[in-house]
Amino acid sequence: MFACRHIALTQFRNYRFESFNFNENIIGIYGQNGSGKTNLLDAIYYLCFTKSSFNRPDAQSVKDGFAGFRIDGRFEKNKEEHKLVCILRENNRKEFLADEESYTRFSEHIGKYPCVMIAPDDVSLITEGSEERRKFIDTLLSQLQHDYLEQLIAYNKILQQRNSFLKFAAERNNYDEQLLEILNSQLLEKGNFIYERRQQFLNEFLPQVLAQYISIADKDDKLSLEYESQLNNNTFEELLQQNLQRDLYLQRTGTGIHKDDMVIELKQTTFKNIASQGQRKSLLFAFKLAAFETLKTIKGFAPILLLDDVFEKLDEKRMENLLQYVCVQSGAQVFITDTHKDRLQQSFIKIGKGYNLIGL
Amino acid sequence: MQFSSSLLENAVNEFARFPGIGKKTALRMVLHLLKQDESITENFSETIARMRRDIKFCQRCNNVSDADICSICANSLRNQSLICVVENLRDVIAIENTQQFSGTYHILGGVISPLDGIGPDQLQIESLVQRIQKEQTEELIFALSPNIQGDTTIYYIQKKIKDFNCRITTIARGIAFGGDLEYADELTLGRSLQNRMPVDKYISH
Repeated sequence: MFACRHIALTQFRNYRFESFNFNENIIGIYGQNGSGKTNLLDAIYYLCFTKSSFNRPDAQSVKDGFAGFRIDGRFEKNKEEHKLVCILRENNRKEFLADEESYTRFSEHIGKYPCVMIAPDDVSLITEGSEERRKFIDTLLSQLQHDYLEQLIAYNKILQQRNSFLKFAAERNNYDEQLLEILNSQLLEKGNFIYERRQQFLNEFLPQVLAQYISIADKDDKLSLEYESQLNNNTFEELLQQNLQRDLYLQRTGTGIHKDDMVIELKQTTFKNIASQGQRKSLLFAFKLAAFETLKTIKGFAPILLLDDVFEKLDEKRMENLLQYVCVQSGAQVFITDTHKDRLQQSFIKIGKGYNLIGL
Repeated sequence: MQFSSSLLENAVNEFARFPGIGKKTALRMVLHLLKQDESITENFSETIARMRRDIKFCQRCNNVSDADICSICANSLRNQSLICVVENLRDVIAIENTQQFSGTYHILGGVISPLDGIGPDQLQIESLVQRIQKEQTEELIFALSPNIQGDTTIYYIQKKIKDFNCRITTIARGIAFGGDLEYADELTLGRSLQNRMPVDKYISH
């Protein structure tokens, strides 16, 4: 069992000083808008990822009129207790301690205390451009495979070099063919590696997402998910050759794995154009829960689930399926926020397992 | 900073041009010169001016030199058919300090990085290619930084000279000598395993 048992917040967001205990594995948090439900979830996220789940600077998480914050957490992992502390000093320097020892590189911490957060804003994964979906896959793959991130960083660096090269070529109206060939071959090597890894991973992952969707929606809605890459039909080498003139004209690289996407279709039509709010939300859950399952399988224990405002926009039936899954089958500790105390309590009673209810 | 003398102020400003030198340090240096005999400052500025005026770059390897050919290239005891390719003068000094190399050098003046506006034309690559052709060089050793730009440069030069009868090698990349395995980063350790060495070769060193 992996769970958060205690958390203490000092000058974090809207909390002056407050501490919470979580004895059970189902925790409901209720309160009015702006009472700090999401902030409490984000504090747990902070301890798992050393940063906020929202893309904002650390300094913005300090309570108004104060300097610095501190989050203290006690986690249970394999029957052992671990103490995690995240401190933002007055000078905006962040410190992170695990069992009293501070990290020199925060990246070492990531993956040790996994958690999956589902928040309303995450729907951008489905409605926004392909970048969001690549980011989702990359984040997940980087947590699972050590060399993936490293190759991806290298790919992006070479891509930048190649794009600058194309810009210079346009300015001077001629270019060094040999240098382009070298840059191409470097880009190819990294690009093919990433393509293979993504393909391998998504071959297993996308059917899982579909299965999750069906179990939440109770019907398949004729949904299809596919990994789309320009490399599916041509080799990367051919693509670079074919597009050379266009690349030179546009002064940037138009082909490669940085254009990959996941195509989501509902009855052969683009999902985001015709799907309802509820269907979008169901699919978002399917993605997140499939990520949860993958992490669980590979890490050997269930990550903590943080569900923010999930009761909105899902019908009763879908909600029941979802709660049944996260609270009973998943084997994870679950945090759920809602504005209605009664709705939360009734759902928990129906499940019939021990729970904590925290009012803010 | 307020100065009572504009002469002092100018001197401080000149010193503050140096990388890593701020106004306070610059002032300390100038005051130090003031404290000492006038002749010392004269000697100092004359040395600097002469250095800049008279310094030459070796026509063969691009190293700094007093004459047209630098002392390393002119040294007949060194293996003239062995060239070590480096980025800059500091790398030459670092390799010389190892006392393990007795060939000659070629200073590129940087590595290829279109992002920083550095293409092959800005570097001493053409002169290197010509030099290898002219001198019938036997071996070229790349001692460039182990990063993507370094690799780009190596591949680029290798392609240019692949038809010549010249062996092309690069310095080893791996675990630092005297280091601890558990503290080595994973990337380096992984590479070291991939490019492992036969023990008999290792021991003979």
